[in-house]
Amino acid sequence: MNNQIDQKLTMSQRKIKMEKFINFCGEKFLLCITALSLITLLFIFFFIIKDALPFFQDQGFKEFFTSTHWYPSAAEPEYGAVSIFYGTFMVTLGSAVFAVPLGITAAVCLSDVLPFKLRQFVKPIIELLAAIPSVAYGFFALVILAPLMQNHGGLLLSSMIWLIMVPTAGIILYVGYFSLPDKILHKKPLALSLGLVGIAIAFFIIKAIADKLYGIQIDSGTNTLNVSLILGIMALPTIVSVAEDAVQACGRELREGSYALGATRAETMVKTIIPAASGGIMAAIILGVMRAVGETMVVWMASGNTGRIPEPWYNVLSPVRTMTASIAGDMGEAARNTNRYHVLFALALTLLVLTFVINLISQYVVNRQRKKLGK
Amino acid sequence: MSTQKLTKDFIFDNKKTHLSFKDFSVYYGDFQAVKGVSGAFPEKTVTAIIGPSGCGKSTLLRSINRMNDLIPVCHTSGSMIYEGLDIYGERMDVVKLRQRIGMVFQKPNAFPKSIFDNIAYGPRLMGIKNKAELNEIVEKSLTQAAIWDEVKDRLHKNALGMSGGQQQRLCLARALAVEPDILLMDEPTSALDPKATAKIEDLICELKEKYTIVIVTHNMQQAARISDLTAFMYEGNMVEFDTTDKIFTNPSMKQTEEYITGRFG
Amino acid sequence: MLDHSFTGMGFISVGLMGVVLLVILLPIVYRGAQAYIFTETIEHRRFQNEKFQRGDAQELAEEYRAVKAARLPVYEAIEKFEAKKREWPKDKKREFRSELKAVKKALHHLLGPAPGEKTPVLMRQQFGQTRWDRAQVKLHEVLYREDWVEDPTGQTKELVQVFVPRVDLFKGTELEPMFEYTEKNVELMLRPKLTFYWQFLIDRSYDAHFFGGIGPEVRGTLLLTLGAIVFAIPFGIIAAIYLCEYAKPSKTVHVLRSCINTLAGVPSIVFGLFGLAFFLNTLKLTESKSVLAGSMTLSLMILPTIIRASEEAIMAVPFAYKEASMGLGAGKWRTICKVILPAALPGILTGIVLSMGRAAGETAPIIFTAAVSVGDKLPLTEAFFAPSQALPWNIYNLCSEHEAVDSIRHVQYGMVFTLIAMVLLLNMLAIVFRARLHSKTKGV
Repeated sequence: MNNQIDQKLTMSQRKIKMEKFINFCGEKFLLCITALSLITLLFIFFFIIKDALPFFQDQGFKEFFTSTHWYPSAAEPEYGAVSIFYGTFMVTLGSAVFAVPLGITAAVCLSDVLPFKLRQFVKPIIELLAAIPSVAYGFFALVILAPLMQNHGGLLLSSMIWLIMVPTAGIILYVGYFSLPDKILHKKPLALSLGLVGIAIAFFIIKAIADKLYGIQIDSGTNTLNVSLILGIMALPTIVSVAEDAVQACGRELREGSYALGATRAETMVKTIIPAASGGIMAAIILGVMRAVGETMVVWMASGNTGRIPEPWYNVLSPVRTMTASIAGDMGEAARNTNRYHVLFALALTLLVLTFVINLISQYVVNRQRKKLGK
Repeated sequence: MSTQKLTKDFIFDNKKTHLSFKDFSVYYGDFQAVKGVSGAFPEKTVTAIIGPSGCGKSTLLRSINRMNDLIPVCHTSGSMIYEGLDIYGERMDVVKLRQRIGMVFQKPNAFPKSIFDNIAYGPRLMGIKNKAELNEIVEKSLTQAAIWDEVKDRLHKNALGMSGGQQQRLCLARALAVEPDILLMDEPTSALDPKATAKIEDLICELKEKYTIVIVTHNMQQAARISDLTAFMYEGNMVEFDTTDKIFTNPSMKQTEEYITGRFG
Repeated sequence: MLDHSFTGMGFISVGLMGVVLLVILLPIVYRGAQAYIFTETIEHRRFQNEKFQRGDAQELAEEYRAVKAARLPVYEAIEKFEAKKREWPKDKKREFRSELKAVKKALHHLLGPAPGEKTPVLMRQQFGQTRWDRAQVKLHEVLYREDWVEDPTGQTKELVQVFVPRVDLFKGTELEPMFEYTEKNVELMLRPKLTFYWQFLIDRSYDAHFFGGIGPEVRGTLLLTLGAIVFAIPFGIIAAIYLCEYAKPSKTVHVLRSCINTLAGVPSIVFGLFGLAFFLNTLKLTESKSVLAGSMTLSLMILPTIIRASEEAIMAVPFAYKEASMGLGAGKWRTICKVILPAALPGILTGIVLSMGRAAGETAPIIFTAAVSVGDKLPLTEAFFAPSQALPWNIYNLCSEHEAVDSIRHVQYGMVFTLIAMVLLLNMLAIVFRARLHSKTKGV
């Protein structure tokens, strides 16, 4: 019947050996290609260190890590990078302030609270936010946001405060109103008047803050606040999607168990799910922050690139300079194999080590979380 | 062909033994899923393996064409003899073995390809490239699986567009296309509705004219309806292996009787 | 009760994200589209005809003749005024000299060189305003002088900007009627017409982007993206296959995985430096920056994304397919090639397309390895070994380092719009692939 089909079921010794050999080679070949990422990583470290070393050999570590004087192109160059580290730190912290509360709230609500239909709309929003290239964000920060801040800074700040504070105050009042003791709550007029007083107080507090901010004149639109805002927006998609995954990974059993004990949805979330997903949420924050640390274009274009620690140190309205922007901006002017060239590699090395450590921490956190849920 | 001496030797309808196993065990890591079972499948008969979930019946079936190789921690001991050769012998060509011992799985697992490509997958693996020949094989297999009339007009449509029952018959046809000797079926109707189940059962009865069929099922009525021989397994042991009539009317072991009368499992 | 506030917070956070997206995208899309669809003037048609031989030359010449006739009274008025001026006493002459110069300069900006003037060297001086919106700005410059004076209301001590009508400055002179004439007849002098300048996408630019389109930038971006993807795809998919199908859980594999994760976290600027130090300074792949070095750097950057996406896609292929294929006697490699990869293809393509979007939009890795602000148009074979313009880099360049940032806003917006459109188009493509994945597994 099937003439073409070889009926012999066994293989010759030689064929077995051949097959084993081919399989072995194939697998090793695949392994080699997979190892490309390892090799790349090693090469990156090697080449960055190689070009950073001459700087440290020549100048030592002390000045680089302790001084705030960054004048690499002066006649007597100074290479104190502290103000640059501080700029990166400030910008990153600022972006986290914007992105973390919003991102975590959005993630938790997306996975547990909001109706399914709305979620279908939100996913594309997050994807779009993630897809927009960093240079486009930088363009927005420099060309649209910066002039706006410079010319209408007070207005912008105060309306931002209104936008954020009013809903927050609304929620606080709402929760506060219903957590009044039952005795008061049952006396309608008293409760209502208390509520009104609360609203009035909240209104005046917000108005006072907003008015104060309204009076502020922003000298330069390219400043920490601008960059932090944009970086925060850029970090949002990462935070939301990773945190949402973590929250979703908690599984139905946990939720149903909590509901079965009579917990409300909010209680379930605050007391059960968020603690269970805390590792993943942590990882989300770390990854989001890492995006802000490593981002180049936005900070280069819109941070003002001033290598000084702002006065006072918390002044978010003054320009700063970050590691990434220094590398991008100065490399074009640094002649090869000069100290000015090598110091930029030293900056890159610092950046690389920093992100490497953060990454290791996040991987550790994620793995621990996985084990916790997988037990 | 086999010269193996079985613990419980019997001859069914004077048919020769097609495949036999002796003291055969399967381990998943430390766990012994099949515990030193012995038996034989005569040619051109339907043998049903029944037993409660987790009794090792699927494991035994899947080790017949070495599908358990896909699970890294799985290893075996004892012998499994097919055509005088130990299936687990060092020189066994697994690829050829699987072509000779076909398998139909629990859930219909048609590839996300056209119906034609699904059937032609096996023959193509064996190096048949000729279009006419492939056409012939496809038509023949589909006819054998009693599905040709339903699909002949849409051979080049995605197979996943068919109903579950059709898909399962397609999988059967796909297994038949490589012209195996033995057909292993792992609960082939568990995911199907009664009507589709009946169709598959009819098919099995027709196919046993040509093939040796081993079917794992947890549906005792099904086993009684279609099989000639029945093996009852419990906790990795083969409790009883006899003609279906005997098992279902006069089992010799107490456990078998209890299972068949529905007292456990 | 708490539930409600949670729902409220959810809506607020989601709403905020939507608002942020709109705030960012709307101005870019609105003004970016104006780089393609805008009201052009006769000067734009002239430029198009001269540099790209577009439009009917005859018709244009006729139209230009009419335009010249409309402009003539302006220049005549100036001539008359200058003739009169010669008879004036010296101090009066001096008083008007700089004013007249300013008027003439503004007119030059608006209408191009005056008749009889020598053809200027710079191209931006050879033509008047090509865009009607820019022409409006320049017309305002002709009509008003910008002055900074102390605040008349006395509220602040800072100087306030005021506009002094030039017609007041020239009151009673021969030039006075010219201003009214220009204001009334500027349409006749420039002939505005709505146009769809799609060639913006393919035209080369002239005179530091004052004229023309963004063709070389788009081409450079496409080349870089293509190069990156060509390098990254085979490595990415093979690595994913190894990790999913071959690798047994061991230390090596653990290390490899963690390397891939780490690589994904390396800042893009560090990739740029690495590309410079390795591909250019050490390997000396090319003499200077090149598309090749740039796309290799980019490919290393997107490698982790492709590996992860492919891995996920391969993992998502039902085990049953593998079983079925193996059950029919297929070997491992055959099963992977014939069953698993085709089934995982839409997922893999989604990952590829998304990382293409990322490669197209990244700037930092190409700053030192591939991007230049001006370059020659080279044939494809040479283009890979030469530096190239690229959209992201030129966006940065035009809005941060250009000599006349404000005059070419439309080009900047056009570039950003084009880049975002390219990236979003790729994302759409990914959505289509995902939809196909759905329909494939459902068998529609």
